Amino acid sequence: MSTKGFELAGIRPVEEEKPVKRKWYEGKPLASILILLAITAGCAACQLFIPRDPSYMDLLNYNLAPCREFLFGTDSMGRDVFSMIWYGGRISLFIGFAATVISTAIAIVFGAVSGLGPQWLDTLLMRLTEILLSVPSLLFVILIQAVLGEASVLSISFVIGVTGWTSIAKVVRTEVRQIRGSEYVVAAKCMGGGFFHILWRHLTPNFISSIMFMVVMNVRSAIVAESTLSFMGIGLPLEVISWGSMLALSEKALLSGSWWLILIPGVFLVVTLICVTSLGNYFRRSANRSQSNL
Amino acid sequence: MKKSSVGYYGKKVLVFFFSIVILSLVVFYVARLAPGDPLVSYYGERAEKMKPQERAWAEKKLGLDAPIYVQYIRWAKNALRGDFGISFKYKRDVLEVIAARAGNTLILGGIGFVLIFGLSLLLGILCAWYEDRLLDRVICKVGTVTSCIPEFWLSLVLILIFAVYLHVLPSSGAYTIGKEEDLGDRIRHLILPMTIVVLNHLWYYAYMIRNKILEEVRADYVLLARAKGLNRRRILFGQCLRNVMPAYLSIMAISVPHVLGGTYIIETVFSYPGIGTLSYESARYQDYNLLMVLCILSGAAVILCNMIAQTINERIDPRIRAKEIMEESRVEYKGI
Amino acid sequence: MSVSFFTPSGEVEAVRDVSFTLHEGEVLAIVGESGCGKSVLCKSIMKLLPGTARVKSGRITVNGTDITGYREREMQKLRGNLFSMIFQDPMTSLNPTITIGKQIAEAILVHHRGMTGEQVRRRVVELMELVGIPDPQERSRLYPYNFSGGMRQRCVMAIALASGPRILFADEPTTALDVTIQAQILDLLCDIQKKLGTAAILVSHDLGVVARAADRVAVMYAGKIVEIGRAEEIFYDPRHPYTWGLMRSLPSLAREGEELYTIPGMPPTLIHPPRGDAFAGRNEYALAVDYEEMPPMFRVSDTHYAATWLLDERAPKVTAPVGRRSGERKAAPAGPAGKGKGKGEGETQETHFHKDHLHIGRRSGEQDDHILEVRHLTHQFRLGKKGMIRAVDDVSFFVRRGEIFGLVGESGSGKSTVARCIMNVYRPTKGNIFYQGVDLCDRKQVRTHRKMLQTTRQIIFQDSTSSLNQRMKVADIIAEPMRIHHMTPRRGSCRAEAEFQMGYVGLNPSYLDKYPPELSGGMRQRVAIARALSMEPELLVADEPIASLDVSIQAQIINLFRHLQMEHGFTFLFIAHDLSVVRYLCDRVGVMYQGKLVEIAPAGELFANPLHPYTKSLLSAIPVPDPCREKARKLQIFDSREMGSGGDLREVSPDHFVLQGDGRESQGNYREAEQ
Repeated sequence: MSTKGFELAGIRPVEEEKPVKRKWYEGKPLASILILLAITAGCAACQLFIPRDPSYMDLLNYNLAPCREFLFGTDSMGRDVFSMIWYGGRISLFIGFAATVISTAIAIVFGAVSGLGPQWLDTLLMRLTEILLSVPSLLFVILIQAVLGEASVLSISFVIGVTGWTSIAKVVRTEVRQIRGSEYVVAAKCMGGGFFHILWRHLTPNFISSIMFMVVMNVRSAIVAESTLSFMGIGLPLEVISWGSMLALSEKALLSGSWWLILIPGVFLVVTLICVTSLGNYFRRSANRSQSNL
Repeated sequence: MKKSSVGYYGKKVLVFFFSIVILSLVVFYVARLAPGDPLVSYYGERAEKMKPQERAWAEKKLGLDAPIYVQYIRWAKNALRGDFGISFKYKRDVLEVIAARAGNTLILGGIGFVLIFGLSLLLGILCAWYEDRLLDRVICKVGTVTSCIPEFWLSLVLILIFAVYLHVLPSSGAYTIGKEEDLGDRIRHLILPMTIVVLNHLWYYAYMIRNKILEEVRADYVLLARAKGLNRRRILFGQCLRNVMPAYLSIMAISVPHVLGGTYIIETVFSYPGIGTLSYESARYQDYNLLMVLCILSGAAVILCNMIAQTINERIDPRIRAKEIMEESRVEYKGI
Repeated sequence: MSVSFFTPSGEVEAVRDVSFTLHEGEVLAIVGESGCGKSVLCKSIMKLLPGTARVKSGRITVNGTDITGYREREMQKLRGNLFSMIFQDPMTSLNPTITIGKQIAEAILVHHRGMTGEQVRRRVVELMELVGIPDPQERSRLYPYNFSGGMRQRCVMAIALASGPRILFADEPTTALDVTIQAQILDLLCDIQKKLGTAAILVSHDLGVVARAADRVAVMYAGKIVEIGRAEEIFYDPRHPYTWGLMRSLPSLAREGEELYTIPGMPPTLIHPPRGDAFAGRNEYALAVDYEEMPPMFRVSDTHYAATWLLDERAPKVTAPVGRRSGERKAAPAGPAGKGKGKGEGETQETHFHKDHLHIGRRSGEQDDHILEVRHLTHQFRLGKKGMIRAVDDVSFFVRRGEIFGLVGESGSGKSTVARCIMNVYRPTKGNIFYQGVDLCDRKQVRTHRKMLQTTRQIIFQDSTSSLNQRMKVADIIAEPMRIHHMTPRRGSCRAEAEFQMGYVGLNPSYLDKYPPELSGGMRQRVAIARALSMEPELLVADEPIASLDVSIQAQIINLFRHLQMEHGFTFLFIAHDLSVVRYLCDRVGVMYQGKLVEIAPAGELFANPLHPYTKSLLSAIPVPDPCREKARKLQIFDSREMGSGGDLREVSPDHFVLQGDGRESQGNYREAEQ
């Protein structure tokens, strides 16, 4: 009987299987990112392609429905809606980001102090937040607006930022508390790591990812807040063009039946928000991935 | 944890009062510090043309001449007697003004609240049951889109469609003049605002409960329950949902002020006579007394709801108790 | 039967062509390491797998009925009735918000709808008595969190037995429990099984547990059953090289002074399983044909089958290195595989340490050079509103320089707390700890000698997942201590130092740029060790470093520790609950129980001649992978009331201390322990 193949061969190196290369874009909300980039690029580079000056009031051509000359129509003061959209988008997006930056900064400081400090400080700060939250935010906004005087882009961003930090702060605080007790922080302390070392090397990278989702959602609510405020009349003045101020005029548009004044800025707003939301959901989903037992 | 009920609740009542007092102080001071002329809301445009003596006299009449802390003490003393002053704009007793409109907001907000939480529970269960299948995905996408639409815009669009083009539903007000008692008319006026209220918040809570249920379903005891031979429906309703309910109830408690207080935008768009518009006006036009009462009401509502939520969590939710005891035993278990 | 998971990365063949039969009333144990598919096998028979899994092929026949095609509804009728399952972690297996009585009642009512409330209640009490829960009437009204771990597992068993199933699946039922409780639960399982005539499939990675409870044993590797037979046959006459490897890596079967055998390499990922025998790449007895074709099941006897080409007539004769047939334990063959050139992931060549060194350094160190002295250490925790709990109660011991001191105890014994007090993580309530003359409880001294303390003592934790920052690269993790102290590393740059340390602990330097989640458990633990070593400490405190690792990986880490002690004279404080490892590795051992140190002795002495009743009961409960001895063994139960309070350690014989209270030596009574 042939004994070929039955010699003692011992351990031979086995080929390592190549891990399946997943396409780099798989799982990411590609469509949303692309649309978002397109809108942002369009707004940023709007000077290049808008046909006419958005604040120019062409009184001969007011309240025109969308036609060849005015792609999105004109408003009651004769301004070209198409140009206004791209020009105003800048401001709306800017406010969204700026407000988020402000609220995130406040939230991180607040949450970190609350999470790292002793128990009594934590309870005190949380109670304080509760009391602050019990004041209706609208009144708060009006108040701050009144104090700051004439509304400008920066003041609106500030106002929205200052009223929106609480949810991120709560998350930061919980995360910091949890990380504080974890073993690698204990190990770092045993090794001799000081406060700032632990803060920078261990705490920060770990909670950044948990708050990414909330930060993105914050951008969304900031943009909505801006348009709501302008609509209510306590936001940007009508001369400053943003999606919000465009929508502020839309109430009058009801009477004149100019649907394009209502629909078009709104659609842009909603599409941007949807893209931002799916981005946020992507961040949220990358956290948990276990299987259902049901 | 057996706490004596009297001590437990007594403490909470004290904290409640304390918070209200602080709140009233804060609002009082801040409102008066803000620039703007309260006389305008009382006298209208004439206030700007008043001569100095007229101003002084007007301020004395309205009680605005004394230093702020004196004003506060005066106000507090009156408040404890039940007299909250008069509204500058409406020139009537503040409580009267509020009472006239409170009903409208409560109807809108209250029914909306019930609808929101009832529907979101249903949606959440539906999504969790069909997790990751077509129905769930569709509902999630639709939900995400609806949650992104700003409420004022949606209101405008709906008004455009239903009132302006189709002439089916009224576009403003709570009732048509003359038909105040007609229930059907009231309902017609409520449909659009209610839809907006519900749509605005629905997905947020539906998604939350969907996630809570999904998290629950991944627990190990579900596997044991299946190994016992229970069917999926029994497990979902009998075990998972039971565990999720206390958390859901406390979220409901916390959202009461959020939902009720968030109606001001809708009230503005629909010119619906409710408290929302009232608070907006009073803040904008320095109607101090009205502002104070409204702030205190909303603040009290928030604090009260928070306390209820906390009570639910501590007393009723067996898991929190379980977790606490497990934490304690874990200290022994692992020897840390 | 074959079962696969369909994941985004591809199809994972978790179970590949497995066949076995279960006879009535017998206990079949399935042994294997993590990832071999044993859990998946059980769950797939009961159709409890998540949605991404599918039974690709095969047939399942129970009692003559073919249940392969059964859908969910029909399976629900069978679950609980025909077969039921016990899971690993009793803490999470039970619904925390429903009382035990109700949960058991639910299990009964599912299949017996017509029972009245009274009948159900009686049955619940009956079941609880069957599994040995005292006071069933009152206890059925309690919630799971009121019970201890062992009691909870008994409740789970009561639920599983509610409808009188014919087959019981037990998925690692004792892994989460203490050793003494484990023994009790295993005995209970065997009792019930014999009483009710239930057949059982016991899944475990612990060969000792298997030896105690099983009639037949199946060994699984990479989704296939590689050997199956009666327990005696498998333990005393194994035929498959993987089984040989498993047996040889057990510390309890190792000879004194000898290095543990380790199976080189790593198990394959099952996305693209290798063509031939999956074990071939780690098998020093592999034949050329092993790399080409999968071996079929060869018959060794009527009850014993093994899937290895070595049993083919054409294969060369190889004597098994383990088992009774081989007589004396043999060392690894000096053939081409002798140097262990396993090219598994991340492993460099297994360093074979010179045997000459083994006897030097053992029990080394001058008799009086104590690097660590603990005197009357007491530490209390505040527990919410309940008051204080004494985690450590008047503990005193010393550790000599260059020795490995083992501290054993079950959960709640306070050993981890001692470790953390020594590392200054906690400040002890009372007592002194002297490290190289510095009193660690004195803040001033600690501050003056801070740098020395931080560099010469290091700690290694149990759970490598949480002890490494998931978002730091391996290179940064290892170099962190150096960066903290701003020291210039000995080998030039931090990276070069990290590379050196990696090589030292046996990891491929290509892993320097990876993140912890990408590494396996054993590799992560090595990274933690490398991090501890980078400062060249003198004292290493290891808090259960190998508890969560597989047997073969444990062997690798144990060897590493020995090497570190021998070659470099590190002192170890080794905390564990696995006594067989402690006996193999440690020079001296201390036994803790509920915060008190009850006995200290040199390792061999402690195991040969335990004096304290708790030590005796602990030793009687360690499962030994020897079926005949296991089945003949009687568990000695320790009654905690015997302990009393107070008492100190008295030296009974040279270097052997026992806790004695009130001046008389407790003989210990063997009564039922209260839980």
